[in-house]
Amino acid sequence: MKGRPSLWSWLWLLIGTLYFFLPLLATFLFSLRAKKGVLSLLAYQRVLQDPRFYRAFLFSLEIGVLTIVFSIALVVPTAYWIRVSAPQLRSLVEWTTMMPFVIPPVVLTFGLIRLYSRPPLPLTSTFEGTTFLLVAGYVVLSLPYMYRAVDIGLQAIDVRGLTEAAQSLGAGWGTILFRVIFPNLRVALLSGSFLTLAIVMGEYTMASFLVGLNAFGPYMWLVGRNKTYESAALSIISFALTWFCISLIQVLNRGRGVAQIPGAH
Amino acid sequence: MAAIRSEQRKLSLLLERQWVSSLPLLRWIAGLPYFGFVFFFMILPFLFLLIGSLQDAQGRWTLKNYMDLLEPSILEAYSISVRISLASAIGGGILGFLLAYAITVGGLPSGIRSALLTFSGVASNFAGVPLAFAFIATLGRTGLVTVLLKSAGIDLYGAGFNLYSFWGLTLTYIYFQLPLMVLVITPALDGLRREWREAAESLGASTLQYWWRIALPILTPSVLGAMVLLFGNAFGAYATAVSLTGGFINLVTIVIGAQISGDVLYNMNLGYALAMGMVFIMTLMMILYRFLRQQGERWLQ
Amino acid sequence: MGFLELIHLTKRFGNVTAVHDVNLSVERGEFVSLLGPSGCGKTTTLRMIAGFERPTAGRILLDGEDITALPPNRRHIGMVFQSYALFPHMTVAQNIAFGLQMRKLPSREIEERVRQMLALVHLEDLKDRYPHQLSGGQQQRVALARALAIEPRVLLLDEPLSALDAKIRMELRIEIRRVQRQLGITTIYVTHDQEEALSISDRVVVMNQGQIEQIGTPLEIYNSPQTPFVASFVGHLNLLPVDRLDMETGIAWVAGQPVRLSSPLQEKRAAMHLAIRPEELQLGAIEGYNCLRGRVSHVLFLGSVVRLQVDVGGSSLSIDLLNRRDQKWPHPGEPIAVSFAPHAAWLL
Repeated sequence: MKGRPSLWSWLWLLIGTLYFFLPLLATFLFSLRAKKGVLSLLAYQRVLQDPRFYRAFLFSLEIGVLTIVFSIALVVPTAYWIRVSAPQLRSLVEWTTMMPFVIPPVVLTFGLIRLYSRPPLPLTSTFEGTTFLLVAGYVVLSLPYMYRAVDIGLQAIDVRGLTEAAQSLGAGWGTILFRVIFPNLRVALLSGSFLTLAIVMGEYTMASFLVGLNAFGPYMWLVGRNKTYESAALSIISFALTWFCISLIQVLNRGRGVAQIPGAH
Repeated sequence: MAAIRSEQRKLSLLLERQWVSSLPLLRWIAGLPYFGFVFFFMILPFLFLLIGSLQDAQGRWTLKNYMDLLEPSILEAYSISVRISLASAIGGGILGFLLAYAITVGGLPSGIRSALLTFSGVASNFAGVPLAFAFIATLGRTGLVTVLLKSAGIDLYGAGFNLYSFWGLTLTYIYFQLPLMVLVITPALDGLRREWREAAESLGASTLQYWWRIALPILTPSVLGAMVLLFGNAFGAYATAVSLTGGFINLVTIVIGAQISGDVLYNMNLGYALAMGMVFIMTLMMILYRFLRQQGERWLQ
Repeated sequence: MGFLELIHLTKRFGNVTAVHDVNLSVERGEFVSLLGPSGCGKTTTLRMIAGFERPTAGRILLDGEDITALPPNRRHIGMVFQSYALFPHMTVAQNIAFGLQMRKLPSREIEERVRQMLALVHLEDLKDRYPHQLSGGQQQRVALARALAIEPRVLLLDEPLSALDAKIRMELRIEIRRVQRQLGITTIYVTHDQEEALSISDRVVVMNQGQIEQIGTPLEIYNSPQTPFVASFVGHLNLLPVDRLDMETGIAWVAGQPVRLSSPLQEKRAAMHLAIRPEELQLGAIEGYNCLRGRVSHVLFLGSVVRLQVDVGGSSLSIDLLNRRDQKWPHPGEPIAVSFAPHAAWLL
């Protein structure tokens, strides 16, 4: 029955493809029109020669890496611990990973700023403080995906068995985590990391309120306010970046689903 | 020989006792960082907003903020948010379903299927600022498609279309709603067993009867659940709207955003109540989604 | 002309021939099993009868009508799937009623028919349950009732019991046969379990690699296998290599020992084997019977049967004996003599 694709299937595919590619194509063509009357890469040149581009890009990249590191440090031991010694807390932890969906990024930002702009923890008064807050916020945003990736990864390996084998050979918790668990989670961690990176690089909501134009998202927005051709070029660059990250994840996961990123919307 | 063996036994008993006794301590230490983080960066901000919504500017307890939510301009904001979320969820949901149908039951080649799924993964994440610019470049006043259509004689903006409006924003939202639907509903469509169709055929059902009596009813919880997910997704969206309309359309998220930047039009406590209103709606959606997904998975194991 | 006729039925998938030149004539009311290992083409043949696969060549006639090109929903055939394929969103009663609703019968009649079917498979109490609330055996009975409700011309079953555990399987196959007899419905049953096929069928079709090896009653298939495949697939069979064959005296030499054969000898083939069923062998040397000597290698207690494995000149011979209380069983390593009647063995 799954034999011959009917005409309808091709029709829906056509419509879907048109809808997807038209904006991309239009944006790309638009970005080539910076020089009057001639198709050129002028817009791209201008973007890539803008020092603010690199500053914002690197800043967001650093934040992304920090987020990934903290996220992994937080999630892996917890997910491991849940599986091995506290399975009864599993539903509680899963419930906490659902919370970022229930609290939209705008609301979260609202709460974080109001809460941490006053004593005893006036984080927003210093640059380091706000950066820390931003990383924390991003860890929250990426939590569901990182946790799910790690959980699936742990499920695929016999966590209990490996732990008990390692213990019977005399390993302590640190050794078990670093030399037994982490190496087996490489794929899961990589795919969770790339998703987190994609989240952070494109994120606008939190970044705009906390660090303003230092981050890549708000930088893109500013360019859009003033320069149409450059903003189209940035759009294409951003799309290519996202494509790169997601493709890597697909390759790593070999076809398992990829979820959507919050905060970028 | 026996002496060595008894020594070994003593040692292993000792180790065992240490292992067992270290367990409760380890249990708590291991959990602390995570729950600590959750507390400080999720629960506490939420509580802060909750408590703030129940207080007035002087710190006294009151329900006035929630009463103020019924103010027409605020209800309008919620109404717009709900309507945009509904429109993009239904629009993206239906189109996404049809596309997912094409690559599963519809029998398109597996190369196309994996390409579409990858692309959906990318497109569902290509949102916010760059997406808004892409649509401006496409359907804005000087957008490529607008200009193309004008040269073909069709004046979009003259006919009343405006990208920077409700429907323009909905159209833009659908760009990431559609692929999300494809990603979420494809596993459900995969779960539609071939044998059900064959059993129905052997019992005399035509293709239409099969879809009407068997396939669609079985798929309904999953499709509804996916649309609920889409609704929640659109409801919480901020960046796309702000980039496209500059805050021109009064979505709840944009109003809240204005609160953060210190908009003095409303009072802060009202802003907290607004935020809680959003959380309440999102929680409802989440519960509904989980219920529907459970139901769907039961039939589509 | 049978009720169901398969004429030169062939199915190719690309380069692979799944079914090759299958010819079968089934009488009305007959219970025929298609038996064979995985991949032998039995399921593909069944699906062609049902209409889910289009034959590459050949024809299918049902009650005189050529149904080869008819779509499955117009064939009026009942099908029971290995995975039951019950509609999960419908109750037991609704599942059974479905085919009747497709035929646009009046609702009163549908209700009555559903009631009859439920009674037939003894599931009256469960009519408002959903499939996920039923056990595997119960689900399969609902599937059976659903297929039979429309009073199909032919009932097709595709390994319906392989997902169930042994005890339920035995109960259900008797159930299926009982129902089939009661309704007198022509039935084709696909299975890889030879015990199943032999115990309930009127005739068995043994298939291998897309072709029919033999068609016959269960007794014929077991006692007179016509090809080496049938002989070794159905039941347990000993095959001892023959060193030398004397056509004049009718004596074959096995492991250096003479064996007299009674079945007519065909021409010599390159590598011949002496075939004999384990249950035909007896302990000890018996007057007038063939005797083989060897050494016991294993004694396996299989419950009601004890299987001795004996090493005869390098080949293994299995002997099945009934487990009698007073019997003294030989030990591994002991020398032993086994006897069999000349007519019990044949050459393959």
